[in-house]
Amino acid sequence: MDNERALISRASMEVATALVTGGVGAAVIWGAAEHDIGWGDSGPGSGYFPFRIGILIILASLTNLVLALRRRGFGNEVFVTNAQMRSVLAFGLPILGFVVLSLFLGLYVAAILYLAFVMIFQGGYRPLFAIGLAFAVAVAMRLIFPIWFKVPLLTGPIEALLGLY
Amino acid sequence: MANLDSLFHGFVVALTMQHVMLMMVGVLLGILVGVLPGLGAPNGVTLLLPLTYTMDPVGAIILLTSMYWGALFGGSTTSILFNIPGEPSSVATTFDGHPMAKQGRAIQALSFAFLSAGFGAMVGVIVTTLLSGWVTSFALQFSSPEFFAVYFLAFASFVGLSAAQPSKTIVSILLGFAFATVGMDTISGSLRLTFGFDELLRGISFLIVVIGLFGIGELLLTMEEGLKFEGVRAKVSLAGVLETLVRMPRYWVALIRGSLIGVWMGITPGGPTAASFMSYGLAKRFSRRREHFGTGEPEGIIAPEAADHGAGTAAMLPMLALGIPGSATAAVMMGGLMIWGLNPGPMLFIERPDFVWGLIASMYIGNVVAVILVLATVPLFASILRIPFAIIGPLIVVVCFIGAWTVGASKPDLWLALIFGIVGYVFKKLDYPIAPLVLALVLGDKAEDAFRQSMLMSQGSLNIFFSNPLVGTITTLAIILVTWPFWAGLMRRVHLLRIRQPKVIE
Amino acid sequence: MIPKVINAQRALGFAASAAMALVLGTAPAFAQAEWKPTKPVEFVGAAGAGGGTDIFARAVQLAIQNNKLIDQPILVSNKGGGSGAETFVYVKAAEGDGHKLAFGTSNLYTLPMVAKVAFKHTDFMPVAAMVFDEFILWTKGDAPYNDYKSFTTAAKAASGPFKMAGALSKDTDQTLTRLIEKDTGAKFVYIPFKSGGEASVQLTGGHVQSHVNNPSESVGHWKAGQLKALCVFSKERMAEGPKVTPTQSWHDIPTCKEQGAGIEAYQMPRTVALPPGTPQATVDFWAGVLKKVTETPEWKDYLTRTAQTGRFMAGSNLKAFIDEDEKRTRKVYEEEGWLVN
Repeated sequence: MDNERALISRASMEVATALVTGGVGAAVIWGAAEHDIGWGDSGPGSGYFPFRIGILIILASLTNLVLALRRRGFGNEVFVTNAQMRSVLAFGLPILGFVVLSLFLGLYVAAILYLAFVMIFQGGYRPLFAIGLAFAVAVAMRLIFPIWFKVPLLTGPIEALLGLY
Repeated sequence: MANLDSLFHGFVVALTMQHVMLMMVGVLLGILVGVLPGLGAPNGVTLLLPLTYTMDPVGAIILLTSMYWGALFGGSTTSILFNIPGEPSSVATTFDGHPMAKQGRAIQALSFAFLSAGFGAMVGVIVTTLLSGWVTSFALQFSSPEFFAVYFLAFASFVGLSAAQPSKTIVSILLGFAFATVGMDTISGSLRLTFGFDELLRGISFLIVVIGLFGIGELLLTMEEGLKFEGVRAKVSLAGVLETLVRMPRYWVALIRGSLIGVWMGITPGGPTAASFMSYGLAKRFSRRREHFGTGEPEGIIAPEAADHGAGTAAMLPMLALGIPGSATAAVMMGGLMIWGLNPGPMLFIERPDFVWGLIASMYIGNVVAVILVLATVPLFASILRIPFAIIGPLIVVVCFIGAWTVGASKPDLWLALIFGIVGYVFKKLDYPIAPLVLALVLGDKAEDAFRQSMLMSQGSLNIFFSNPLVGTITTLAIILVTWPFWAGLMRRVHLLRIRQPKVIE
Repeated sequence: MIPKVINAQRALGFAASAAMALVLGTAPAFAQAEWKPTKPVEFVGAAGAGGGTDIFARAVQLAIQNNKLIDQPILVSNKGGGSGAETFVYVKAAEGDGHKLAFGTSNLYTLPMVAKVAFKHTDFMPVAAMVFDEFILWTKGDAPYNDYKSFTTAAKAASGPFKMAGALSKDTDQTLTRLIEKDTGAKFVYIPFKSGGEASVQLTGGHVQSHVNNPSESVGHWKAGQLKALCVFSKERMAEGPKVTPTQSWHDIPTCKEQGAGIEAYQMPRTVALPPGTPQATVDFWAGVLKKVTETPEWKDYLTRTAQTGRFMAGSNLKAFIDEDEKRTRKVYEEEGWLVN
């Protein structure tokens, strides 16, 4: 497998980004249109600025789109190669998993699982060390946030079972 | 000099063993909350507030302000080490601080930041002492048009700097402005761009955006170069701190300019965030080493840090004398004043001079204490970077999401942070500048409020921005700065013509 | 010297509370045994830090903490986003949880009228209204007006309209401004700021002609003579007390009604509410605690310092009051075209 091969070309990513930012612009216009977009006796209405910001975002995105399409000047410039993408996903997918787990199990449990997973399978640490460190982090989280600084963190069903808040 | 007399008296009040202990405790606690993006200065101060109910007001305010100084330093630490600014005002520190740390010069980066921050704060306190009467009456001249002009000036001095494709810079700025309008509109009292989501009621939080764009985005980018699961090899010793101290005077221009910008923005009161961006922008514009900015240039750390802390301290005085808090943290402290039975306002200076001057004196001592303590922690913090990435990387991720959760205790915020992380990664790879987005997000709604308040006052006439010498001067300055490339181009052309002219004649 | 003053105030508070206890008899016995907080309690203030709502929540916290009225620690946080809507959304989501209390004002029931938010005031279990904040008509210290009439007449006659600063939009300050306009025929340009404190500085700097701040929001500037209090929008004058400025105590400010205003009274309740579906026993527990709070010296201190009028309402009294005030406000909002729900 060719690791240096381009997975996504720079040009196509430029196009995709311009389309997304343009889409955000359209959403802003749509949201602003609910409000007064005019300039009355008392100055601009509440939709005046958002409406125009939305239009300008679309115009600037169009410029980016046209430049990306026309120039093709990025030529064969690469956005990510296979190897890079694999590294990014190897790091990014566990983060996604962490977020999803947090929503169901709370931040503590998710943090333990996530930290242990990354340290064991990607860092190559001994399971005992990794799990121990992960638990230590969870204990530190609990001490620092809810106990010392009285900032409650997201908890899940397991904490509820244990009677922790 | 009546002020110096009062100050001397203030030192007598502030310099007791108990107060110095409180300062040290406050600073250390502040550093702790500052380095954790989920806590931050406002949370820390909020938490300590109930403890102060039973203290004497001077001791209480010393504890809280020291914590604030400590947290500001802590915030710069995470900006430099992990590219995660804990407060809006330390965003500008990431631009050169983080690259420098990545090159293995974390010690120098941190020392530059702390020393210049301490210097800026000192300038702020000195100005406060000497001009206390004048500062308040000057601040009273500021109304909405002046506020708008100050924000405009801050913006004008920062944007137009990046080498990026102009249409990309524009998209970035506009996205920032668009995000800033989400939530309750102060002027009309209606909810904008929430699309029916309750989570968007309070607007898009600055902290979540920077955690994503800067923190997670940066991590993803780092990972691209393969899973370098090893730490940065950095020499860690106290000697590095001293070396930096010796090199410091070389950057006196950036240092003094930064401090003065900070003091000016603190008094006016444009605030520390506007000050740090403005100072960075001007330093870059007028530096001989312009092209090195963004790659770990010391001036790029010194300028924003001096301005940030200069503004933070200079803003304390208008806060006490006018009752206007300059930041979220200051607002919590003002709540404290009321609980202790003190009313912020001009009479505070007459009724409780012991309190006011004790506080001002404690700002001198507190900042010195803070700089010494924080410099002592530099080797400790710098050695964090030596921890293998397989451990510190995921830990940063966990801390980032804890931070995202604490903003509003809402689950969708976790997704938002992740999405901004991906946006940050893509934007960096495609050369969309991120800093203008953050500046627009932070200043956007304030600027819009000020603009629309002005329009209400003038019944829709833009002349209000030139209606008195003060606002007229600031607006004109801002317009000159925003059109600077045009003027620079014009001057160059005139210059060229002059050179060519003789040749034509020949 | 200074500690003595505080002590005197404390002593006064004790005396007052003792007197109050005599008048009211012992507090009614609530069924406290049935419910007790089992984890730290959250007081969520529906406005920014440092404002009136924040100080209200902290005063309650202080009184509970000093008198050990509950066993669990209390955290005060502020969720001021969306003019406080953030708080109500947050507390609404904690259905049935008696450990999260929303501290607000009349915004509990006025916000859902003017903003498209996903809650109604009837969603919540109101616990108590503890205190009523007054509204005073303020002008700059050196302004040539001395009462309601001379000020509104000048406003009517002015070539350019007078500017009235206030906190937030479509909230109490702007409502009162509209009421004054209707009463006198004068026209004001209302300029909303983020807080009453900001509005007060704008008036001190002479950038606007007036505002209708609560006493505590402007007391600092009043003391310094930078502001002048024309009249208070209440039925009776405020409580007697020591002089605040060299010449005036709060009691010396005439009521607007005395001066011929057609506005009977305009006051803002400070309210505490629990999430939807909270059991009645929990509501009763908190009503009992808050009632006890109003009898503490700390609370008396708070009332004196912020110049508010103490008036405790709970249970059916409170419900009736909210219904009535909601209806009255709705009428004003309808006329102004502010209603969205």
